[in-house]
Amino acid sequence: MAKQPRSTMSRALVRRETISGYMFLLPSLIFFLGFVIIPMFICIYTSLTSANMNDPGSFVGFQNFMDLFHDKTFMMSLKNTFLIVIVSVPTVCAFSLWVSSAIYKMKGPALSAFRCIFYLPVVTGSVAVTVVWKWMFDNYTGLFNAVLKGSGVIKDNINFLGTPGIAIWCIILILFTTSVGQPIVLYVSALGNVDQSLVEAAEVDGATNMQVFWKIKWPQIMPTTLYILVITTINSFQCFALIQLLTQGGSDTNTVMYYIYYTAFKLTEQAGHFGYANAMGVILAIFIGLLSALQFRLAKEK
Amino acid sequence: MKITSGRTKAYRILSVVVLIVLAILFLFPLYWIITGAFKPAVDIYATEPVWFPSEWTKANFDKLFGMRSAPLWELAVPFSRAITGETVYFSVGPTVPGAIRWLVNTVFMSVMAMILTCLTAAMAGYALAKKRFVGRTLLFSLIVCAMALPKQVILIPLIREMSALHLVNTLWAVIFPTVGWPFGVFLMKQFAEGIPGEILEAARVDGAGEIRTFTTIVLPMVKPGVGALAIFTFINSWNDYFMQLVMLSSNANYTISLGIATMQAETSVDMGLLMAGAALAAAPIIIVFLIFQKYFTQGITMGAVKG
Amino acid sequence: MKKFLALVLSLAMVLSLAACGGNKAPAEDTKPAETDEPAPAEATQSIDLWVYPVGGWGQEDNVKALTDAFTAETGIEVKVEYLAYADGDDKVNTAITGKNQPDLIMEGPERLVANWGAKGYMVDLSDMLDDTDKSELIAAALTPCINAEGKMYEYPMCMTAHCMAVNLDAFKAAGADQYLDLENRTWSTENFKKAVAALYDHFGGTVAAVYCKGQGGDQGTRALINNMYGGAYTNADHTAYTWDDPKNVQAIEELLAMDGIAFDASLEGGDEIAKFYQGVLKMAFCWNSAQQINPNNANTGEGKTVTGEEIVYMNFPTPDGSPAELCGGIWGFGIFDKGDAARIDAAKQFIKFMCDSAHTKDAVSTSTFFPARTAAEGTDLSKVSDNVMLNEYAALMVPNMGDYYNVIKGWAAQRTEWWNMLQEIGNGADINETIAARMANANAAAQG
Repeated sequence: MAKQPRSTMSRALVRRETISGYMFLLPSLIFFLGFVIIPMFICIYTSLTSANMNDPGSFVGFQNFMDLFHDKTFMMSLKNTFLIVIVSVPTVCAFSLWVSSAIYKMKGPALSAFRCIFYLPVVTGSVAVTVVWKWMFDNYTGLFNAVLKGSGVIKDNINFLGTPGIAIWCIILILFTTSVGQPIVLYVSALGNVDQSLVEAAEVDGATNMQVFWKIKWPQIMPTTLYILVITTINSFQCFALIQLLTQGGSDTNTVMYYIYYTAFKLTEQAGHFGYANAMGVILAIFIGLLSALQFRLAKEK
Repeated sequence: MKITSGRTKAYRILSVVVLIVLAILFLFPLYWIITGAFKPAVDIYATEPVWFPSEWTKANFDKLFGMRSAPLWELAVPFSRAITGETVYFSVGPTVPGAIRWLVNTVFMSVMAMILTCLTAAMAGYALAKKRFVGRTLLFSLIVCAMALPKQVILIPLIREMSALHLVNTLWAVIFPTVGWPFGVFLMKQFAEGIPGEILEAARVDGAGEIRTFTTIVLPMVKPGVGALAIFTFINSWNDYFMQLVMLSSNANYTISLGIATMQAETSVDMGLLMAGAALAAAPIIIVFLIFQKYFTQGITMGAVKG
Repeated sequence: MKKFLALVLSLAMVLSLAACGGNKAPAEDTKPAETDEPAPAEATQSIDLWVYPVGGWGQEDNVKALTDAFTAETGIEVKVEYLAYADGDDKVNTAITGKNQPDLIMEGPERLVANWGAKGYMVDLSDMLDDTDKSELIAAALTPCINAEGKMYEYPMCMTAHCMAVNLDAFKAAGADQYLDLENRTWSTENFKKAVAALYDHFGGTVAAVYCKGQGGDQGTRALINNMYGGAYTNADHTAYTWDDPKNVQAIEELLAMDGIAFDASLEGGDEIAKFYQGVLKMAFCWNSAQQINPNNANTGEGKTVTGEEIVYMNFPTPDGSPAELCGGIWGFGIFDKGDAARIDAAKQFIKFMCDSAHTKDAVSTSTFFPARTAAEGTDLSKVSDNVMLNEYAALMVPNMGDYYNVIKGWAAQRTEWWNMLQEIGNGADINETIAARMANANAAAQG
């Protein structure tokens, strides 16, 4: 007798929860579905067609994808995209961890001064930062060439942004300076929150600094590290402005993000260029989806 | 013991030296922007870099402000473009230099994106964390997968969509996709999970409705998270050059980032002008950052503790 | 299995939502369209014009004076947006995709006729031409504006011949001025090579750059390479590219081997001009009358670098030192077809006002180029400016304008192939292979 009403009640509860859940989700869902998910589906559909700027094209199956894997520029872009992520994510994490552990015990003003300085490139704005670095990297009158030449390190000017093999590292460097700000702030506070009694106990037992770090601090700041991995990965995919303003994809610096834009709006005479650009988008989305899933599997395990 | 401490000390001194060098390197671009903005043409075009302006001039700013002009604000009748095909304005401000209008646009865009994101994400995060509804797992997986998605992927459909909604070349076309970006929902979900279920249960027993529970119990508890998200969204939106590039076509609708990028395309090597633009773009947000530094660091940290 | 089912169901749900979202917009679209019909007369009181920086037409003050005069006469307001060569094409293409294109656009036949016109975005303007116009318009300017089917997608306003420039003071310092024929502004390829050698000995580093960061100013690198040994860029009937002409290959090989000449992937045309203006480069291959009159748009005086050194415009070097075949620039207006007759009509009024009326003289002299016609509605246009340099340029350089091959199909695609080719060659790729591969791509676009 007692069981019956409870089960109907819980079904009613589920329905109520579902309705109220979606009511709360509604505003967010409108934007998320409207401006992310729906365009994504249109993108997937278009990637299977030979769509152009001025006509929707016809269905071509996976032709665009086949072509992409024979496209040297695309393969290079894919390689560069992953190079940027693979290089910048660990270096940003390691660098910011080192800086934070060096500064987190400092006195108030010194700590906030350092924290502030490393955070400044983030708030300066990507375009402003890019423009000033472009000037510093200039082949003829740039600062780096003048300094290197003046100090006798090099004899002839280095064409930083015009030489394949160098340009991409310049871009990674700029991206690096705009990426470490937030991780440093995060690590400083995470390290500050490490349980001091454990650290002291370990020191009494004669543990070295290294041991204290890896055995006690590292596990405790793990959640922060994971969060930093996520935001740095996101950040590394947002390097469009750097490529567009510095090299326009030349000197072997193309990335998939720029090549999509380039194919869509510069190669407008190539047949089916919209379909082709969307196919690149789909491939990129698949890779990113996998990467995110991997990171979250990792996060769940920890 | 003694040796170790000696080594530690040496290491500490070394690390401080390295830190100071790094700090100078990180500050340098900013120094270069600021001095560049006030350098006269002789210094700018000198073939050897001039480390310090030979004379402080505001000529670059004069040039920046003299380049383009636009009304300070234009308030359009909502949906007027959709209905008549032509935007109708009910209020148009006085004509000012284009760069000033670009700043106004950028602030409007960032603040709007911030408010909308915080509002929608706080609600959605709460629902995802505390409601057990059908489709929750799927939705959350979608959100996680879409979080790192660069906007270039959905570029073409997005432009078509904005065109169908008559939003192309308005700031809304930049704001809406930013609000749709699911990072905020993810972050707020992590925060809302910290709310004890008993409190919500108690509120329900007391007869509080959904909306009252949300405003009186949930919101105050996730407030630090909202702060973190607000900062994050504001900076992201301020820097989101790509959406601005593809969505905004008229000078009066430019943002400051887009304005500088366009100037660099037009007058590629007038570095004085570009630095003046860069200084103008960076100054407001740096000042805000310096004033609210404490809240910034608190906000950012909050994001991680829960995330 | 259950999980899979749930996934399919939720996908279906998302899709149905998508369908709703998709339907909503057109519904909004159709409704106003019905009510809209009677009203457009009001709406056309304002038209949009996008201009590329065609000489002085890139500066707001200049253009505003002209559009104000137009508004005063016709009551039609003109909203002007300024594009840059570096990313203007992307902007226009983005706008077309978003159905946000302007009514009027100012540029040359390679964009208006060969690109957007060929794709069907433009309005045929041939009804604007009567017999007087046909006799007044200079044939070299009019011909490229009309495509093979007789459709006219650009109404030409002004024109110039693109040349190169040298820093005369630097040449004198290096003793290289002896290689220049300053009276006729010509030189031979032999002398060009000697001059580069002399400059390199004196200054070291890079004295001139074959810039190849992007498409900006590519007419300069094209003209240099074609003229050095008399090679051609396309075949005579403009159907295929002939970059692998041995004369072009020889020029590229020699440029690559010359000390002091760099294939620079960090510069495009505009950057090169700035470096030349700055005194770093001693020659500029991206030059014309507008640059000569206001170098680098910096307003620091005609024919002078920033430090006051003298700039001399020159023909590109040719084997025998005769005048070069210069690339032409022909600028005018085209109208985007947005399906609104009233707007098109207003745009045509604007074209008539700028290109064929008593105001044409002002419009042309604003550009600091030369008129595309001899007279406009009774105004004689043989001398639009009192500037000595401009009139000299008109006599010395404009007649050297060569074949206007830019109207070949696939022009925009070809440009990216060209600068990528130069980059690859500059980075040490095999010259013949690279040219063959890139030319094949360009030719594919020319066929398609």
